[in-house]
Amino acid sequence: MTIRLDGVSKRFGTVTAVAPIDLEIGDGEWFGLFGRNGSGKTSLLRMLVGLSRPSSGRVLLDGTEPTAEVWRQVRRGLGFMPERVVMFEDQTGEQTLRYFARLKGVSVTEVGPLLEQVGLSTAAIRQVGTYSKGMLQRLNLAQALLGDPRLLVLDEPLSGLDVQGVKELFELLGTVEGRTVVLSSHRLPVMSRFVDRICVLRAGRIAALGTEEELQRRVGLPARVVVHPVHSAAGANESHGSLSAEIERLNAGTLVSLNGRLVVSVAQSEKLRLLAGLDGLGAAIDSVRVEEPSLEEVLLETS
Amino acid sequence: MKRVDAIRAVAAKELADRLRNRWVWTVSALLLATTLSLTFLGATPIGVVGAPGPGAVMASLLNLAVYLVPLLALVMGAGVVIDEKRRGVLDLILVSPISSGEYFLGAFLGYALALSIALVTSFVPTGIALAFTTGIDPTEFARLLALVLALGTVFLALSFLISILSRDPARGVASSVLVWVLAVFVFDLAVVGLLVAYPGELPPLVFEGLLLLNPADIFRVLAFTWTGSAAAPLGLTGLTPTIPPAVLTLALVLWMIVPLLLGHRLFQRRLAMDTLI
Repeated sequence: MTIRLDGVSKRFGTVTAVAPIDLEIGDGEWFGLFGRNGSGKTSLLRMLVGLSRPSSGRVLLDGTEPTAEVWRQVRRGLGFMPERVVMFEDQTGEQTLRYFARLKGVSVTEVGPLLEQVGLSTAAIRQVGTYSKGMLQRLNLAQALLGDPRLLVLDEPLSGLDVQGVKELFELLGTVEGRTVVLSSHRLPVMSRFVDRICVLRAGRIAALGTEEELQRRVGLPARVVVHPVHSAAGANESHGSLSAEIERLNAGTLVSLNGRLVVSVAQSEKLRLLAGLDGLGAAIDSVRVEEPSLEEVLLETS
Repeated sequence: MKRVDAIRAVAAKELADRLRNRWVWTVSALLLATTLSLTFLGATPIGVVGAPGPGAVMASLLNLAVYLVPLLALVMGAGVVIDEKRRGVLDLILVSPISSGEYFLGAFLGYALALSIALVTSFVPTGIALAFTTGIDPTEFARLLALVLALGTVFLALSFLISILSRDPARGVASSVLVWVLAVFVFDLAVVGLLVAYPGELPPLVFEGLLLLNPADIFRVLAFTWTGSAAAPLGLTGLTPTIPPAVLTLALVLWMIVPLLLGHRLFQRRLAMDTLI
């Protein structure tokens, strides 16, 4: 399913949560929304799933503006996981999922396997009020996955998940071929490994949009080249000093010495020239490592 | 998914919740204890032990119903929608292929069924006990029960409207209690005050029109009309208005439908504007 936002905005009284935004999310794309608290992520997601009406502009699904009846059809194949939800504490996990299955028109026979998939099969008959934060998160995800939705919209799904949990989450999301996934998160390094494109929101506006590499290139943050010198018989300090001088002569960036290593902060445009220069100093160098700026640094730079 | 399935799913869940959290059984037990003690011990202060007679018992039950049932119904539904919204569950429900109207109707039916179960399980045992001890007319008692159920449903519809208008469940409960005081006490006192202030001057049409403005009064008048034995002990046989029962019934039905429609309209509007909380 393709999603297009044409000048979509959201205002609450005099406060603008989302300024007019134009955005297209392709069929089968995994799309990440990043931004600080109050940047408009949740407001945008709520408009995407039809829970909130845009103050201006329109949301187009597969090229058409959905009517109430079309929304009903769309919602048969839509999974939504809100950031904050307090499930029915006095119902069991299984009862909760059965209820949402009935609302979605999904067979309740799906509930058992889904509970198994999210690792809640043994806790299925326990009251939701006794669940831990991580278990509640998994139950919330399970209700979103009911009916193998073609479009999944997840608000902060990584909240409360450890590294293994995140890996399992993305494996679960990928079980349906061609599924469109839109998610928001604060955990950039983790998220960026899984999504196709990233949209950075700042004060309700798109501050940056593209793949991780595109964003890094666009912002042009310097790369870091870490050089480990060879320890010669003449002594570590001497070899370190002479290598440092050689690198300075390459005039390719800012050099600092750090715990026996030499770290060069180099502009992306100068990176290849520096590496070629270091290649010429081969005998004095034990190893070289290039560290690209993290997406988090990109976000800090852009928002 | 058929629309009726969605409505049924919501209704079943709401009913199951009320049964699970023991609301229904607690209310039922309390009402049963009250109706039985009122029936069999109510006349002890005047030296009568046991049920005093069908008319007096019916009048006592009618009075009990007109005070307690609206309060129970109003408090029961006061936080219904707003509570789901605050918990975030309403968002999950409304992204399912279910309209706001279907959710609203389903929730109302679930609550109405729960309230009806509480009322039936408390009034029916009392009725059976009365049938054996006082020879009360079962048809008359069934009519009273039907009216009690209608009264509960009307005030439940009002509580749904109040829930939509309230910013949080606590305010919803406070507003509900206020509506109860107005409907059960203040309105009647105001009408009586008018009659006293303008003796013989108030046209019957105005008096009858005023009664239609209060569902509790419509219930009273219909109960007197349908259960003749209740009016006599209260000395109201000659005072009942001349509004046809069909008009009174229609008014009671409207008192249920209009708050529900208005509540749903406001619900839709506040959802669209993101101003439910």
